[in-house]
Amino acid sequence: MVLPCVGLLLVFAYWPVVRGVVLSLYGNDLLGDPTRFVGLDQYAELFTDPELRRALLTTVVIAGLSVLLSVGGALAAVLPLRRAARRPRAVVSVLLSMPFAYSAAASAAVFAGLFAPAVGTLNQVLAHLGVTGPEWLRSPEWAILSVSIATAWYEFGFAFLVLLAAMTQLDQHVIEAAALDGASGPRLARSVIIPMLRPSLIFLLVTQTISGLQVFTQVQVLTRGGPADATSTLVFELYQRAFGEALPHVGSASALAVVLLLLVLLITAIQFRVLRRWA
Amino acid sequence: MTRRHAASLLRWLWLGAVVVVVAFPVYATVVTALLPPTDVAAGRLVPRPDRLTLDNVRTVLGTAPLAQQYLVSVAVTALQAAAQLTTAALAAYALVFPRWRGRGVAFALVLATLAFPGESLVIPNFQLVSGLGLRDTVLGIVIPYLAAGYAVFLLRQAFLALPREVWEAARMDGCGDLRALVLVVLPMARPQLVTAAMWCALSAWNGYFWPLLITDSPQRRTIQVGLAQLVVDQVTAPAVIYAGTLLVLLPTLLLVLFGQRFLVRGLAARVTT
Repeated sequence: MVLPCVGLLLVFAYWPVVRGVVLSLYGNDLLGDPTRFVGLDQYAELFTDPELRRALLTTVVIAGLSVLLSVGGALAAVLPLRRAARRPRAVVSVLLSMPFAYSAAASAAVFAGLFAPAVGTLNQVLAHLGVTGPEWLRSPEWAILSVSIATAWYEFGFAFLVLLAAMTQLDQHVIEAAALDGASGPRLARSVIIPMLRPSLIFLLVTQTISGLQVFTQVQVLTRGGPADATSTLVFELYQRAFGEALPHVGSASALAVVLLLLVLLITAIQFRVLRRWA
Repeated sequence: MTRRHAASLLRWLWLGAVVVVVAFPVYATVVTALLPPTDVAAGRLVPRPDRLTLDNVRTVLGTAPLAQQYLVSVAVTALQAAAQLTTAALAAYALVFPRWRGRGVAFALVLATLAFPGESLVIPNFQLVSGLGLRDTVLGIVIPYLAAGYAVFLLRQAFLALPREVWEAARMDGCGDLRALVLVVLPMARPQLVTAAMWCALSAWNGYFWPLLITDSPQRRTIQVGLAQLVVDQVTAPAVIYAGTLLVLLPTLLLVLFGQRFLVRGLAARVTT
């Protein structure tokens, strides 16, 4: 009975890993077919090819910024909610969990409307307030920030739901005891509540970092990697090389896929070690 | 007393600011989607009842084959979620109830796939599915995702919490494995089954990267891919983009509003393991 599931996973998850490693060792021949054995050359490109180095750096920046904004933002929203009265708390919780309903494509589409050049809703609203908004998607620096903001907003809903659930399950006796001992406000949050939320925070940092490394949809919908490749990420490069060009480079795209897999497995392994040390 | 009031006021000001920032894109999708496109393009976002209109929705349906794409997405979601639940229920049953050699290995094999980023598998899967002649079909969209580690994980946890004696009694009465699963185990695990079904449906509906790669013709793409194309076509009309987003969002918004209890249960299971 376990066969259908394991069989499918072997074919569509394990075999592609093996096949991807093999493909990554081959480069295009003169006809554009991936038949020329090149060994690890396409991995070395990750360090030598300026385009790839930049994509790697951009990925880390976007992942880092969006994790910081989404997890930090969710924590900053959940902490003050703890002492709010029941009904307003329920209303705020529903409003703040809304981003979770959006798919990556839906959230990216909304931000495309908000950030659009000339008629973008955000700059129109800012104009009413007498502020001239930036060119969200047209300058390289702002574009990276815009993609990070859109990604962070998309991740925020998930982070908020996780922390909210963790918060409602906290042991109230411990918090009350700490409050009786005179801890209050920021001090209570810092030395009692945040440590109690630590398992959820670790879980979020890990899962959000991993999904940050895979960011693609926001890039593809908002900027197509531009302007001038400023927002091209690891997965966007993979997409371009394997599917986006007239002459596909399946080999070098596969090397990127293997690198992504190794990065994610590495982070997962670290997570397990850290959690085990605490247990 | 006044200090406490001041603290409470500060807290609500802060929460208000967070709500404004987080909810603004939602407001754009849900409310401004129903305003005249010229109003939205000029940044007039306050809804006046006499100005509400379905014009943007009409434009969306007129410019893109969104109705067909909706059907594709519904078919993909139904097929994929049903298949994932079926394969996961069978696997979880075999991993929990009968005792056999190699079941630890089988579970490890399934669980490890949770750590595989989907993007790193697409190139070989694209070659394989294209080779099967399934490019540009609904079956091609769902075939790599007929089994999902997360569903197995959720159902296995649910089954482990069930009283084993009930299953043993059913087996003593001559109940086969399949009957035991369908008639005894699944009814007892109904809430977790709903949780797993919701997560499977959510991820199927929301999929983007793979459906983008494996489909070519506009009327065979999923609604998510269609929406991304709409963004390209309507970049000068944010109101139309919002209306399209609203259509894509509607089912999952309802799921999150009314099924949150079930979804959160799935989250909790992941955090604590």
